[in-house]
Amino acid sequence: MGMKVTLEQSDNAAGSCVEALNDRFSGSGVESTVEHHSNAFKMAFVRINATPQHWLAVAKFLKFDLSVNYCSMVTGTHFPDGPAERGWEVAYHMMRMPVSNVEPHTNTTHVAENLSGNDIPLEFEVRISIEQGDSPTVPSIQSLWVGADWNEKETWDLVGINFEGHENMHRVLNPHDSPDEFHPLQKQHKLRYHGHNEMYDDAQGFGRKPADEGRNK
Amino acid sequence: MAQMWITMGPQHPMTHGLWTLRVKVDGETIVDTDAELGYIHRGVEKICESRDFTQITPYCDRLCYVSAMTWANSYIYAAEDLLEAEVPERAEFIRLISAELQRLASHLMWLGAFGPDIGSLTLMTWCMRDREMFLDLLQELGGSRMHYNYPRIGGVKRDIPVGFADRLIAKIKLFERRIDEYEMLLDESTIWLVRLQGVGYAKAEDMVDAGVSGPNVRAAGVNYDVRWAHPYSVYDQVDWEPAVEKPTSVKGADCYDRYRVRMEEMRQSSKMILDAIEKIPGGKNTNYSSGDEMILTKAPTRAPEGATGFSNYECTRGASQFYIQGGGEGRGKNPYRLSIRSPMFITIPYVAETMIGYKIADIPAIMGSFDPCIGETDR
Repeated sequence: MGMKVTLEQSDNAAGSCVEALNDRFSGSGVESTVEHHSNAFKMAFVRINATPQHWLAVAKFLKFDLSVNYCSMVTGTHFPDGPAERGWEVAYHMMRMPVSNVEPHTNTTHVAENLSGNDIPLEFEVRISIEQGDSPTVPSIQSLWVGADWNEKETWDLVGINFEGHENMHRVLNPHDSPDEFHPLQKQHKLRYHGHNEMYDDAQGFGRKPADEGRNK
Repeated sequence: MAQMWITMGPQHPMTHGLWTLRVKVDGETIVDTDAELGYIHRGVEKICESRDFTQITPYCDRLCYVSAMTWANSYIYAAEDLLEAEVPERAEFIRLISAELQRLASHLMWLGAFGPDIGSLTLMTWCMRDREMFLDLLQELGGSRMHYNYPRIGGVKRDIPVGFADRLIAKIKLFERRIDEYEMLLDESTIWLVRLQGVGYAKAEDMVDAGVSGPNVRAAGVNYDVRWAHPYSVYDQVDWEPAVEKPTSVKGADCYDRYRVRMEEMRQSSKMILDAIEKIPGGKNTNYSSGDEMILTKAPTRAPEGATGFSNYECTRGASQFYIQGGGEGRGKNPYRLSIRSPMFITIPYVAETMIGYKIADIPAIMGSFDPCIGETDR
């Protein structure tokens, strides 16, 4: 029969991680909580609200003490209408996986109910608020997880978050000759079409101009 | 001997899509590589910011044209997290069946494209023949061959048609025999073995550190699978176990291990489908009308500011993830920001690095064995 990590296991694992994090970073403004998804099995995950100056320390603690070995996703968001201290947000999604190298001609077959401690797969969400301004900056974690490298490249390319200390930063999805300050997922860039009605009027878009025409891009 | 840069792609059979691999060679040996992506970047994340939550599903179908159903499902689980929708169990079973059918079709497409890379053109014709069986089944569900727009927030679009179960069982049973045929064709072919064995080694820990996931990691000997590690749907109720391979070297899994693990995964998917269709609540030969509470529940259409949704999903090539922030235009009818994590976007640069040290003729074998798909990579 199939198997799965139970809600109880993920609750306990997330609880002990949050305890360790709050112990280590008490009073520094880094807050960790246990949260639950509201889909499927309502699994638990760890949410960490960090600040740019503490981020590297938190990341090292995640990697070396909580054995988080997988940086899966980096999301930047632009909040031009947000409060002064939250003009931008970077969200990291990380995973803990019970994966290690195996001897030749063998394999590791984990059984979910036998996993314990740092072997229990767990999800971490780290959110970092950055104040309003033209050059949002967070330290790069490229040196900790190789997987963060291209994620950070993508986030800089599309959203324009600067990753301090990132080596070999370049465009990955946009053309290499895009204008310097052009990051399409920033909110001042609007789509050409706003509703489907407009599209019906002029399906080919010949008479249409970008909504942000004339603005300095 | 002088070293030089060679550009493979964007139009090269090795690419399985549209991207460029620049390789620096010293004679025939690769000494440096550089991957260039972004040729078919369509800005899906930006488009989604001006669409309702229900309107986003077709865009997610088109992220990957060979595994549309898994990508749409992946988005739906994130949207359900955001909007707090409940899903009836029958719908979860139908989603499981549809996703596993798509996995079979996608792996067949991979094998069909990988065969000619290695020199076996027969595979292309055989795999396309069998893939058609599953596309027909998916067409019965979603109404079209490749882009189905089938899952809904809170269920599925329509129930399985009458007679679907019988056709499904007959085709899967036939296909289980066909997998044996493929193995007879390939595992006894000297060319196949010589070109795949001992080429493209990758260690499990290195892959996880670099962000590779899914069958590629399972080939290196660890049975990590999102379907049990971050469970969703009803995978705990059906009979299966994650496909996992025993690598033959301390250097990790080679191309042959990655081929083996996908064949095994097709067996597991077939097993899962046969089991799920028998266990489906409400019976396999009943057909509930669209919108019936057995297959669809009403879900909210607006998400407040500050709410977030996240899904981690075992796509055919690894873990696909969606992160949605609510509170966009139209008082929360649209996402404020929707972010997509594609497994292949991280894998391709990693594979480009593992090639260093091998010969230039090994590139199609190494690249193909990781199953690249550029639709999801460039988004």
